[in-house]
Amino acid sequence: MKRIGVFICWCGSNIAGTVDIDKVAAAAGTMNGVVYVDQNKYTCSEIGQAMIKDAIKEYKLDRVVIAACSPRMHENTFRKTVESAGLNPYYLEIANIREQCSWVHKDKEAGTAKAISLIRTAVAKAAMNEALFAVEMPITRRALVIGGGIAGIQAALDIADTGFEVDLVEREPSLGGRMAQLDKTFPTLDCSACILTPKMVDVAQHEKIRLFTYAEVEKVEGYLGNFTVTIRHRARSVDLQKCTGCGECLAKCPAKVASEFEEGLVQRRAIYTPFPQAVPNKPAIDRAHCRFFTTGKCKVCQKVCPADAIDYEMEDRLLTNGYGAIVVATGFDTHKLNDYGEYAYGKHPDVLTSLEFERLLNASGPTGGKILRPSDGKAPKTVAFIQCVGSRDKAKGNSYCAKICCMYTAKHAILLSEKVPGSKAFVFYIDVRTAGKDYEEFYTRAYEECGASYIKGNVSKVFPEGEKLLVRGVDVLSGALVELLVDMVVLAVSVDARADAKELAKKLAVTVNEHKFFTEAHPKLRPVDTQTAGIFLAGVCQGPKDIPETVAQASAAAVKVAAIFSKQSLLSNPTVAEVEQKLCSGDMSCMAVCPYGAISEQVVEERRGREMVTRKIARVNVALCQGCGACTVACRPGAINLKGFTNQQILAEVDAICL
Amino acid sequence: MAAVIGWRKKDFWWQSPVVFLEDPAAAHRLVWDPFTVYSPVKFLLEWQASCAAKVGIFVKGCDSRGINRLLQDKRLERERVVVYGVPCGGKADAEKIRASFPAKGIKDVTLLGEQLVLTVGDREVRVAAEAYLLDKCLTCRHPNPVVYDKLLWEEVLPRQRADESRFARVQAVASLATEERFFYWQRQFERCIRCFACRNTCPACNCRVCIFDQAEPRWLGKANDPADTLNYHIIRAFHVAGRCFECGECERICPAGVPLQELNRKLIKDINEAYGDYEAGLDATDQPPLGTYRGEDPAGFDES
Repeated sequence: MKRIGVFICWCGSNIAGTVDIDKVAAAAGTMNGVVYVDQNKYTCSEIGQAMIKDAIKEYKLDRVVIAACSPRMHENTFRKTVESAGLNPYYLEIANIREQCSWVHKDKEAGTAKAISLIRTAVAKAAMNEALFAVEMPITRRALVIGGGIAGIQAALDIADTGFEVDLVEREPSLGGRMAQLDKTFPTLDCSACILTPKMVDVAQHEKIRLFTYAEVEKVEGYLGNFTVTIRHRARSVDLQKCTGCGECLAKCPAKVASEFEEGLVQRRAIYTPFPQAVPNKPAIDRAHCRFFTTGKCKVCQKVCPADAIDYEMEDRLLTNGYGAIVVATGFDTHKLNDYGEYAYGKHPDVLTSLEFERLLNASGPTGGKILRPSDGKAPKTVAFIQCVGSRDKAKGNSYCAKICCMYTAKHAILLSEKVPGSKAFVFYIDVRTAGKDYEEFYTRAYEECGASYIKGNVSKVFPEGEKLLVRGVDVLSGALVELLVDMVVLAVSVDARADAKELAKKLAVTVNEHKFFTEAHPKLRPVDTQTAGIFLAGVCQGPKDIPETVAQASAAAVKVAAIFSKQSLLSNPTVAEVEQKLCSGDMSCMAVCPYGAISEQVVEERRGREMVTRKIARVNVALCQGCGACTVACRPGAINLKGFTNQQILAEVDAICL
Repeated sequence: MAAVIGWRKKDFWWQSPVVFLEDPAAAHRLVWDPFTVYSPVKFLLEWQASCAAKVGIFVKGCDSRGINRLLQDKRLERERVVVYGVPCGGKADAEKIRASFPAKGIKDVTLLGEQLVLTVGDREVRVAAEAYLLDKCLTCRHPNPVVYDKLLWEEVLPRQRADESRFARVQAVASLATEERFFYWQRQFERCIRCFACRNTCPACNCRVCIFDQAEPRWLGKANDPADTLNYHIIRAFHVAGRCFECGECERICPAGVPLQELNRKLIKDINEAYGDYEAGLDATDQPPLGTYRGEDPAGFDES
């Protein structure tokens, strides 16, 4: 008979408020194998843990049940507690009577009954708990950073600076991401490119960083310390070794398409480098628009290339590498404005998105940094900025706040007043949110020094009125209808998760929220971790944030990676699957469902009558097994068992809760 | 070949059970008549476990999918089996015949094309076969063997309207209110005597050690407890989910008349709706939907 100790936690009033602890303790005392019951206001406190240790010694306990919060919270804490008292850490069992009981119930009587039931279940399982032991596993000390915007750049540089190898994968032909598109940055008005491009160059020159542009993650396998990632190196059609970046081809290419980098305001060629400071500053052929690839004739770029770098035969290459950790920094898309016909975007050339306006401000942009109306090339004297287009709009857009629009609009208003003397900005807003160091002062500067008028209210319609645009809205503070004749309208478009974020999430086995932003492991305490160990998040792919926050998160992710790499080895999870030979039919259903490739076939010899015969059965590689248990469900004869969660243990739990 | 597995005639006109023949001289004992309905496939497991020699086997369309089932489950060595495919126009239901003709008078029943020829006393009666076929044969989509080394004769045409009636019973049960549906299944399972005939005949139930036969952990209580019977049927249905190839032997063989095929087809219907149409047992190398993961698979808990 086992000697089980049950420790019931009040969790202050969190549990004790809805569960009658004395009643539960009395009931626990009558359960099979329980020889000791105690309670504590905070079991996780040092006093609480000391009580457990003392009780284990005094009452010779060999199994411990702690009825408290979710095992996700403190299972590790308590495992260490029982271990320090001389027990195997896996002799511990947690009954979750907080998240699964007291927090979700109001009725104390029902809550008490449920707590007893949960403890009876845990006691039944604990009696069958066996000692389990971890083994040491090696770590691949190379990190993968997905996304070459400011988040990915910062994470890669920080990891590389700690001395570990980094591969940086960027989908576009150049590093830079969204920040490269920006003109100035709030609240200091630094030139975005001036602070970004040196970092891009640092990445390219860092001896610990391998840069893969025009490449995408194809497949991810493995686990913390030992991921195997297949990367698709898309056919650039330009040999990066030979190309000198002279740009001859860019000038001669006859095929033109809207430039993504310039937000479609101007056209680029089919062979292109996205922007002048691109890293690597070497072009790629956009095969979907290249005349040779679409019609079979042209080859102008090949003719003019002095370095013989054009290679139309180039094919996508799939290369597989091992990594110990992954940082996801895939950024965002701007919100599509299909549902906002009232703002005349797409119908009138002088209605722009904020990112398009950003390009007009930029010295390397289509207007050379002059703010000019796309319709007639004149400088606008009056500009209406409409906030929250697609944000804070449950009906048509995103329910969340895109966080950056208030600040960049203040920046736009300031820059407008500087670039077009005598001009006037009108900003329609719901709320102005300026939480951040020096942000409020920056916003104040926009309306005090630069003359921007802030109008609290929504715009109902924008339509052309002669050469101008009529903006009709309401000023909710005075209740008056507002009609403004302006020269230009700028829409503060919301921030969306990448359209393909979910696909990447599936490849990485991480989760996304309802808006397709990657989910952090804990919103407060583990904001850069994902639920998948060894995969971290940086930047807007996790949720809207500005550049300072993005950079901070990227550095945080880098530290997380470095912390893993600085360990000698990782301890394996001992709760792995094992196969019982005599039950295994060898149909390998388990192998088909194993997400970690941890199951393979092995030949075993068996006695059949008087002869020895061989047959194939399943074998678990304990270094690869992550203990997810998918195999145990797929196995019809129940031949595969997850240690710590064996079929016997689970059936004992079911019996305890049902009978 | 050390033996061949086929069917022989037993004492009565409705009995054509499976037979192992080891002596070529006894080949004349093999029969093919309206009652060779029993699946011979499961016997291959016992043969292979006890003997290293090759064996021949006669299979109907449904039986042949059982061969694929065993191959896909890695329970059969294909090179140790010679498969004789027998295109099949459907098997007769002795109950339906008995209901129309005095059982004592019937001496012999044969199938000639679409006609059933009965020898009743001294006279010969010819009737349209369709009314006397087994229900399961009326919904058969693959009367011709899908895997064989030798086909005995020309392929037959699949029965028309087989598709229409395939899920008719499933839909009828599904249309019941939740409570009625529970009572319906309670009534069905009450009759079950847990003889495990359904499991024993099913080629998809081919584990070396069935969980229902294991003593520890005790998945299923031995006492006649309705909860355990319910458990048995739910587990059995889920164990063949995505693997059942609709031979219908489980239901036909059930001495208590439990409509097992309704459970099997419910799961087939659900799988088709969730993952696209899939028929088990047609190809031993395909990827069964419940044993594979694709990025576009629906995830019910994630509707975003």
